[in-house]
Amino acid sequence: MVLESETIFIIDLLAIFAIYVIVNISLNMEFGYTGIPNFGKVLAVGAGAFVAAAIPGRIFANIAGIEGDYITNNLLIVSQINLWLVDNVGIGFVVFFLTLGVAAGVGGGVGLLTSYPAIRLRGDYLAITLLAFGESIRIIGNNYTPLVGGTLGVQIPDPLSFLPNELRFPVATIGLVAIAAIVYVYSEKMVRSPLGRMLRAVRDNEMAAEALGKNSNHIRIKIIMVSAALAAIGGALYAFYVGGTIAFAYDRASWTFWPFLMILIGGLANNKGVLIGTLIFVTLRKFIIFFKDSLEGFVPFDVVWLDFLLLGVILLVILLYRPQGIFVEKPTPTISHKGEDNQWNIKKMFNFFFK
Amino acid sequence: MAYDPIFSDAIIFASLLALLSIGLTLTYITTRVPNFAHASFATIGVYVALIVTHVWGLAPYIAIPISFVISGIVAVLLYTFILKPLIRKGASQAIQMIATLAFDLVMIAMLNITADYIVKTYKITSREFSLRSYDIDFMGLPLIVIVAPITIAILAITLHIMLRKTKFGIAMRAATENSDLAGTVGINVKLVYGVSWLLGGGFAGIAGALMSLWFQGDPNLGPQLIPSIFAASIAGGFLSIYGAIAGGILVGLTEVLGTRFLAGEFGAWLIAYRPLIPLIFIVVTLFLAPKGLAGINWSKLRRHGSRI
Repeated sequence: MVLESETIFIIDLLAIFAIYVIVNISLNMEFGYTGIPNFGKVLAVGAGAFVAAAIPGRIFANIAGIEGDYITNNLLIVSQINLWLVDNVGIGFVVFFLTLGVAAGVGGGVGLLTSYPAIRLRGDYLAITLLAFGESIRIIGNNYTPLVGGTLGVQIPDPLSFLPNELRFPVATIGLVAIAAIVYVYSEKMVRSPLGRMLRAVRDNEMAAEALGKNSNHIRIKIIMVSAALAAIGGALYAFYVGGTIAFAYDRASWTFWPFLMILIGGLANNKGVLIGTLIFVTLRKFIIFFKDSLEGFVPFDVVWLDFLLLGVILLVILLYRPQGIFVEKPTPTISHKGEDNQWNIKKMFNFFFK
Repeated sequence: MAYDPIFSDAIIFASLLALLSIGLTLTYITTRVPNFAHASFATIGVYVALIVTHVWGLAPYIAIPISFVISGIVAVLLYTFILKPLIRKGASQAIQMIATLAFDLVMIAMLNITADYIVKTYKITSREFSLRSYDIDFMGLPLIVIVAPITIAILAITLHIMLRKTKFGIAMRAATENSDLAGTVGINVKLVYGVSWLLGGGFAGIAGALMSLWFQGDPNLGPQLIPSIFAASIAGGFLSIYGAIAGGILVGLTEVLGTRFLAGEFGAWLIAYRPLIPLIFIVVTLFLAPKGLAGINWSKLRRHGSRI
């Protein structure tokens, strides 16, 4: 069975969509719900990808007893590991999920680091600091070779290498979509919980929230750590999906600017908006890349820049003419609204106190 | 002692950073939005210089006034058509910052398209090019080493006279201090802001035109330069033109000479980490002296020192 190009197109689109949904939901938690302009989103995403590049391969090499320097002989070692993984599916999955866990942990650490300026600075100064923080990940990744192989990058072993080639990408995509769905449900539950309401209270009127006894700094640290952990998982999944990590792929445009674009198209503080915004963006980009070759002859420049131009203009138009995005933020209902008695109780209590 | 070219590097980089951070500060004090597209105004200047020298075959210094005008106009376009409507609609500062990022992206795309177009039409290198060979020697030094600091000095003095002595300059200071009050006494605040953006963008254009004579030109210079410019402006306090000059010189010299010194002490591998210096500057300034050099009360410090 050989996959047709249309099927490959849709499978790849879904996989990239799922990864960006994870990253965008985490950004929406920070920027949409809490109002923290995290212009250094790439930091957490990159940290996750670097974990995926540096850790699982070394663990596999150790267990399988493959000798050699992991970075310099990377190609050879990874192909040996992939052969070995065909017979050791279980270990492959254990290490895969372990890596996601470590990525989340490292992401949380990065979040803690990010929260240090985020609770002390406001608005523009914070944005500049985080932007500069985000730049640092690429510089370190590019120059510190043992981490992700410097400018050459590294390959990552594929836990799905036991599958035949034409099944590998569909199965990976199903996995990614499932993880994205879990993250989506988690985020939906969170924004409907008391914590979610507190986030919006801190965003809309910090002083009022503090007057009601909420510790706004505490909330900020918490939400930045959670969202950085999620973003790191997204980064690790992306690294596993493409099968390698190279530092310069973790630049400001791909992992900070595009996520902002997507959540602004869909509408801030709105998980449905994240889905639709991401879908529009990913589809548009896929089509631009798809039709790149047929456009190549007509324009006297690389079509990649048309993509930048178009997306930049789209964002400016949205900011100017529909700043609330496709879906406008609505007051979210609380979690428990199905039980009739429950509502009755609240009504009774309300009447008791206020009438 | 033989003259070490690293000093040319340091002098030119520090002067250009000062010029860029004056421009950034000029735009920041009007609209209070950090313009992330500022460094790409300089890249426009780099390409103007390339066209002037390679395509028209003229002396590179002719690019200075041309790039002032072009970059200035682009900056005014950003202010008039994007930031002004956003401010009128009451968009938050974060949204305005994202708008400047989007504008930067559009500019980078345009610059790359220009670069591709130059390659295809004139068959010359338009990426990672250097115009050093077009510069003239002056007393054994490349002329740019002398021109760059002199340009900064002239522009700074002109700006100082304009802001202190002319009616327009005083109106400009009034409008940035309190725009509502300035508006009630009949100052055209929008015009003043527009001129501020014109000057800010224009200064960046001049910096770009000068930069092309010493450093490598590339369409993607902007994203590489922006942390240094912000570090310089923040070190200078972000609200003071004089602070911006001091901050630019401080960050520029530290970046070039500090990297050289540390590389000499610890080994050459450190050179690659030079882009981390602006980050360290930003963090240290914001946590130790958040108002920057301009916010430190120097006379109090001196008195304190003499008491000890």
